[in-house]
Amino acid sequence: MSTSTLRRGSRLVRRTQASPTAYVILAVVLVGSAFPLWWSFVIGSKDSAAIVQDPFSFIPGGHFLQNASTVVTTIPFWKALGNSIFVSTTVALFVVLFSAMAGFAFAKLRFRGRSGLLVFVIATMAVPTQLGIVPLFIVMSKLGWIGSLWAVILPSAVSAFGVFWMTQYLQEALPDELIEASRVDGASTLRTFWSIALPAARPGAAMLGLFTFIATWTNFFWPFIILDPGNPTLPVALQQLQAAYFVDYSLVLNGVVLMALPLIVLFVFAGRQLVAGIMQGAVKG
Amino acid sequence: MTVQSPAQPPGTTPGMPSRAGVSTRPAPELPSFAQRSPMKPRSGWRRRLTKLDEKAAPYAYVSPFFVLFGVVGLFPLLYTAWVSLHKWSLIGGKGDYVGLKNYGDVLAQPYFWNALKNTVSIFLLSSVPQVIAALLIAAALDSGLRARTFWRMGVLLPYVVAPVAVALIFSDLFGDKFGLVNHLLGLVGIDPVQWHKDVLPSHVAIATMVNFRWTGYNALIFLAAMQAIPRDYYEAAMIDGAGRIRTFFSITVPQLRATIIFVVITSTIGGLQIFDEPRMYDQYGLGGADRQWQTLTLYLYQLGWTQKNFGRAAAVAWMLFLIVIVFAIVNFLVTRRIASKGQR
Amino acid sequence: MTSRSTRIGAPAVPSRHVVLATLTASLLALSACSSASGGDSPSTQVGSTSGGEQVTLTLATFNQFGYEELIPEFEKSHPNIKVTHKKAATSNEARDNFFTRLSAGSGMADVEAVEVDWLPEMLQFSDKFTDLSSADVQGRWLDWKAKAATDAEGHLIGYGTDSGPEAICYRSDLFKAAGLPSDRESVAKMFGNTWESYFAAGKQFKAKSKVPFFDSIGATYQGMVNQLEAAYENPSDDAIRATDNAAVKKVYDQVVQAGIADGLSAKLQQWGDDWTASYQKDGFATMLCPGWMVGVIEGNAKGVKGWDVANTFPGGGGNWGGSYLTVPKQSAHPKEAQQLAAWLTAPEQQIKAFQKVGAFPSQKQALESQDLLAFKVASFNNAPTGQIFADRAKAVTITPYKGTHYFAINDAMQQALTRVEQGAAPQESWDKWVADVKALG
Repeated sequence: MSTSTLRRGSRLVRRTQASPTAYVILAVVLVGSAFPLWWSFVIGSKDSAAIVQDPFSFIPGGHFLQNASTVVTTIPFWKALGNSIFVSTTVALFVVLFSAMAGFAFAKLRFRGRSGLLVFVIATMAVPTQLGIVPLFIVMSKLGWIGSLWAVILPSAVSAFGVFWMTQYLQEALPDELIEASRVDGASTLRTFWSIALPAARPGAAMLGLFTFIATWTNFFWPFIILDPGNPTLPVALQQLQAAYFVDYSLVLNGVVLMALPLIVLFVFAGRQLVAGIMQGAVKG
Repeated sequence: MTVQSPAQPPGTTPGMPSRAGVSTRPAPELPSFAQRSPMKPRSGWRRRLTKLDEKAAPYAYVSPFFVLFGVVGLFPLLYTAWVSLHKWSLIGGKGDYVGLKNYGDVLAQPYFWNALKNTVSIFLLSSVPQVIAALLIAAALDSGLRARTFWRMGVLLPYVVAPVAVALIFSDLFGDKFGLVNHLLGLVGIDPVQWHKDVLPSHVAIATMVNFRWTGYNALIFLAAMQAIPRDYYEAAMIDGAGRIRTFFSITVPQLRATIIFVVITSTIGGLQIFDEPRMYDQYGLGGADRQWQTLTLYLYQLGWTQKNFGRAAAVAWMLFLIVIVFAIVNFLVTRRIASKGQR
Repeated sequence: MTSRSTRIGAPAVPSRHVVLATLTASLLALSACSSASGGDSPSTQVGSTSGGEQVTLTLATFNQFGYEELIPEFEKSHPNIKVTHKKAATSNEARDNFFTRLSAGSGMADVEAVEVDWLPEMLQFSDKFTDLSSADVQGRWLDWKAKAATDAEGHLIGYGTDSGPEAICYRSDLFKAAGLPSDRESVAKMFGNTWESYFAAGKQFKAKSKVPFFDSIGATYQGMVNQLEAAYENPSDDAIRATDNAAVKKVYDQVVQAGIADGLSAKLQQWGDDWTASYQKDGFATMLCPGWMVGVIEGNAKGVKGWDVANTFPGGGGNWGGSYLTVPKQSAHPKEAQQLAAWLTAPEQQIKAFQKVGAFPSQKQALESQDLLAFKVASFNNAPTGQIFADRAKAVTITPYKGTHYFAINDAMQQALTRVEQGAAPQESWDKWVADVKALG
């Protein structure tokens, strides 16, 4: 416990050190980060005549809600929103669970072929995804999943990145002594996994879950191929805004903002917990 | 308990919550198992079961990943290998077995080498500045800030914007004649840059899109790891009179070794497969009229889907796969070298 | 104009569509062979239902066909049929879905809309579609329109809906400013009806104005090469003849001479960001212009006055875009589906669609209709676009042959022309194209 007090103390020491430079750097980064979203908002709040006539204006117009209601009625927005929430949540859960399981085994269990398999996992990240689409389509066709949301979920549910991440994470976050102790106590590996590894993995898993959720939310290419226009995810549905011969970018970028909004809401409500939790877990220990 | 010695790098560990949360908890629950085995013969059976559990369980844990991967990853990979050994039209399907001819054909095309060069160039322009910027941002985030959550979520903002939207916005900014960037350059008296004609500017523009989307993401990964560095190290260093910059290089960077390796490897793998950004950089998506920014994946696509020569495309896919692996290994070795040098 | 008009659907990220569309086309072949080995047969054709039975049909379209108000009308006159309308955003998205489902052997609508650009691909699999030829519709369409949807066995696979006859759009205000005649009749006369006279008009214009004459040599080339009956491949055996075809080289030289040497081109590649932005900046004075392009110009050039249409097209007629309705054999109600397709593509209905959304008819009778001929576009100086495009449609005589390599060869050509606009030597760029075509093998 003494270490922990010490650390908390030193944390205080460092807190006083937050320099103006740090704020300046971060402010610049934040402005750059927010720019495209702001730009989308600006364009998305004008009528189409205004954007072609004055493309470099940074001041929003007054049509945001009007454009938004056009977007929502032009495309199956609510259905797509529901689908996106379902798909992203399911994928995030699968990825976190499977990655935690595999990460636990790779990080803490001894078995024949362990390092070989781990290298194999990392190597799988190197498979160029573009070419995999054709054989993958054949798989989905065989499963009868063309147009089904599961055809989107399944390929995303396997994440070599996630396994790599959880392996690295658990290697450090989960002391060998704990595993050893529980083994000596005669606990099954399942129990060890459930009551020791999973709780220890929580901060890393939260971050992995967040990243996976966002990545799935913005994923376009494969869902576009496999899903129906009548049963789309958000990016696929928003694509329909670019339908006409003349594309109205005020609607397209309005849609971009609408699609990002749920993620920003997620940030506001879960972000504090997610990020603060992840980070502070480290310090509080 | 694991009080970390300085010699042992903490890697990507965002935290050691196990110490406080878990270590106290499991102990009282677990012994019950062992104590509840009074009969000798049963304990033999039980031991065997435990043995089986220990032997088999690891495979059970990794199996969901591998089973799924087998279907959605390995099958496509092997299928691609098989395709690459045949004359294979995308529309017409499988033709004759041709051995390694597709590989030879591709290697003999200057476009392959051009694409390889472009890929490496864009990769360097994106990953090197990205890792450095991410480290700096992470360091800034790691200092005791007010409104920490705000800043942390702020740097992740680019990640919530869909790549399609990023490409849409940035390709507009980088217009040769009427883009905002050239407009601004004009205001300070710089001649317009030919973003879609000249090789290096096109690479810079594409790398900018990549960096925009991924720097904050990597910064958070670094930050998570930085938070795990025991604060005593900094304290000790400060007592020794080390400045901020020195502590960064002598403590932070070496302590982040494993994380840096992780980020470098994942961004190597992602960077060499870069596809969306160069594809959406102009309206044709083939990497420029003179293939100024045609990367290997775009080349692969052109072979497979414009020319419908699936056999050659598959050959490129496999070569790309091998190139990525070689790069990942080299980067792993180099990064480990650099990071551990700082430690000494 | 396969490569170009595939891009119309979504100018922002069109490349993906091209890629995707071709991709799914090919998935078809792949899973066709996989399903053959798997042994699941997709032949679900059921004999047509008899009169009184209640039938629900699905209709799949894309973009804007203007059918929203027609469907209730059809249901009223055909009380035993209900229609569900499934709309995809772009033709490319539709094409994607179309081939995906065709290859999977299930999931297609009873009536599927097909765009002219993927028609040749689709005709390779014409045995999977109902032959729609019937005495009722004999001679309904312009000859080239019907011919394009007729397969090698003489089966009519699709009923024509709209079309994209080409005229030339121009900025009358810029012509006036240059001291040239600016009303559409005089301008049409000035453009003449050959490429030579069109380019000569350009030189005349250039002498008096700083604004480039046309948008790009790529777009102009496309209009020219589409008037060659067999530009890239032999219709008989599909063998590549592009690099030896003197006619192609002639078109290339002619357009490069006009656009680069004579300085008529604005060097703005179509659908690019600069091209779109240029409408607000006097980017160019004329462009090749199918009927639907009027809407594109209206959108991009908001606030700019002076666009008009000249009733002429160099080198004869030209068509860019347009669609068909087909009935896949997957349909369980082919007879009713054919009824629906025939009704929707009847001249009366197509005229209503034109009035509603501007889908220009491909039916002979519709082109004579007063409702069509009287149609005008206010923002184009009240140009009688109905009359003009009707005339242009009648001028189309050639159905260019596009084989399996068309797409790759034409893409390489567009790149070659872009290189020239970016400053490459024309001969060098041509040689590179020749090498590219040779490497296709």
